[in-house]
Amino acid sequence: MSKAQQVTRPLVRSLTQVAGTSTTCPARVLAIRQFSSTLSRSDDASLTTGTAGPAASEAQKQAAEAVVLGSKTVAATTIKQGTEEELAKLLSPQLGSLRRRAALATTGNIPFEQLPYQAFQEARKILAKDREEKVAKIVAELEKIKKLEATDPSTFRSGEAYKQKRLKSMRAYVERLKILADINDPMVKRRFEDGMGTASGDMNKPIYRFLARRKWCEMDRKIIMQRITQFHIVPDLLPKFEPNMDVKLHFRRFKVPPGAILNSRITETPPTLRMQVFDAGERLISIVVVDADVPNPETDAFNKRLHYLATNIPWNPTLSSLPLSRIGADPTAASSSSSSASSAASAQQGALAVPWLPPHSQKGAPYHRLAIFVLQHSNNAPLDPNKLRELYDGAGREGFSLKSFRDKFGVTPVGFTMFRTVWDENTADVMARHGLPGADIEFRQPRVRSLKPPRKPRGWEAKRQGPKYKHLWKYTKRIKGVKF
Amino acid sequence: MSFPLPSLRGLASRLLSRPTVSSSSSSSSSFSHLAFRSATTPPTAAARTTTTPPPSCLAAAAGVRSLSTTSSVLAPPGAKGGKGGPQKGGRPGDKNAPKRRKKGEVQQRDPKVVNMLRHMAVLSPRRIPPPLRMGRNRYLRHWTIHRAWLLFRRQQRQLREANLMRQYQSMHRACEELRRTAGPGTREEGYLYRVAMEKKGVYGLDSIPIEYARAQTETPARVAWNHDWKAGDAPGKA
Repeated sequence: MSKAQQVTRPLVRSLTQVAGTSTTCPARVLAIRQFSSTLSRSDDASLTTGTAGPAASEAQKQAAEAVVLGSKTVAATTIKQGTEEELAKLLSPQLGSLRRRAALATTGNIPFEQLPYQAFQEARKILAKDREEKVAKIVAELEKIKKLEATDPSTFRSGEAYKQKRLKSMRAYVERLKILADINDPMVKRRFEDGMGTASGDMNKPIYRFLARRKWCEMDRKIIMQRITQFHIVPDLLPKFEPNMDVKLHFRRFKVPPGAILNSRITETPPTLRMQVFDAGERLISIVVVDADVPNPETDAFNKRLHYLATNIPWNPTLSSLPLSRIGADPTAASSSSSSASSAASAQQGALAVPWLPPHSQKGAPYHRLAIFVLQHSNNAPLDPNKLRELYDGAGREGFSLKSFRDKFGVTPVGFTMFRTVWDENTADVMARHGLPGADIEFRQPRVRSLKPPRKPRGWEAKRQGPKYKHLWKYTKRIKGVKF
Repeated sequence: MSFPLPSLRGLASRLLSRPTVSSSSSSSSSFSHLAFRSATTPPTAAARTTTTPPPSCLAAAAGVRSLSTTSSVLAPPGAKGGKGGPQKGGRPGDKNAPKRRKKGEVQQRDPKVVNMLRHMAVLSPRRIPPPLRMGRNRYLRHWTIHRAWLLFRRQQRQLREANLMRQYQSMHRACEELRRTAGPGTREEGYLYRVAMEKKGVYGLDSIPIEYARAQTETPARVAWNHDWKAGDAPGKA
């Protein structure tokens, strides 16, 4: 046996090699190795029909919804993402290859970190030693921070500014060390990938926030940045904008890809935002929904209109879901975030300043961009919802400027998503239900009359209309597509 | 539209394995504009698939002039005439095998071209090995071992660099000391430093750094280093 194979061979050798594994284990490496007591098949797509029943009705509901919402794909997954324990329950010890069944019968459930693979255990030793070093460095740095905080700033040449700068960089270093201590842990990686990193409390740990942010940057952030440029959000609504938080849009459980065109009936009710912030701490946020493309025929340009404004919403990294319909509706309503266990007592605070106006686009107009911005309050200072209502509700919706709202009230835009709306079969009803005028107006491009002189008709038939061609009238008097 | 540029054709057929034949193809192309040849396929396809062009047309063309005049200029000096003769249909397998143009005549491919193609063939999508796929637990073990190895290499690298930094700084400090020292006897401050910075004769009298003793080559020598070389041996044995 080669050296490489000896290293990967487990130390426990209580089984002889079981023959006849070629049908179930096509890989040559598996056939050579003694045994693997792990649930190596736990993530295969070979589940029994146990999940088909509830999944089918779910899929039907989603399909029906998708038809209304106009989505092309119905993502009904065959495996529900679950924890290793849940999946293991489905894969009973009676299932699997001969070797697997024998392995499960003879060895107990060894936890992953104690699996007897030599290279793996040696690697764990190295990583554990490194983690101890990092923790020691964290402790030392915290001591230094404490000492520096206690010193008098007048002993430094640059005084307080120097002290604060040093403290800031030392704290940033401590944060980096915290990430480095946990980044090599396979259990952390597994827990995050299984979605348990977003459970209540875990997002308070910097490593899970770091992993979540990294995952966001891989794809979702790129999509949002692309939408910002391709839909010209940046010059039109704000001069400069870079999102810091992950905002996802859901209308009645349908996940909306940013920029999708939605039916008016779906957008009649306010959506749910699934948000994830990546920096620690509690903060207050405001949500603003702006329509950037309200046509103005007098000026032959487009105005902006405010569709929704909510403010003073407390948010932290452990919260994930915010249904906009619940804000300010009932002061004693329980918080609807996923981590509602601890916050059942504290209601979903947050004041509704301007209620939801259904997006409506008139016939003939191009699509309207509905931009949803999440803004963070500076210094966690709440805004006065009554003042906002007085400024921006009613007639104040028209001509709303996000830039001036930001400057006047000291809020910073941190999150963004958007969708689009066009005139469809339900828009007239929606506008009638909400008393919005203009459903009978149809926009049209202004007719530009040509300055060219009128032309004679073209074509062989058209040139032979006169009485000279009477013998050809049976052909020329019958030009296809033209009614005489 | 279908008349090929002779210069490019010569180049292409040298580099690629496209079994283009200039004689039959250029003859067919020279007649392609004529009406009675309109039924034929484009010249290059005709060259590959058909082995016997209509003898009447070809015989006349072959007798008049040597075909594809420019390619004879571009052809390697050893090659005879142009590329004539019908194709035997794409021979699979070794594209670098010597091609038989006329009976008894073999044309070798340029060995530089052969070498380059052999090296670049490894990059083709067919020959790249597929990515490894493993079960979850096995992948996590692999990931852990990989992270530990990378960390170990980083630690070794940092030790090495710290050592080098220490040596460099020690030398730097020594030179700085010399710079501030008044030299032996009556010499002024910094004399020894300036002497130390002079590199005359560092390699001995009439010598150059040994790195210049070996010409740079594309590939290593067949005997990269002779461990048993002694100073008494002739220079050729180095």
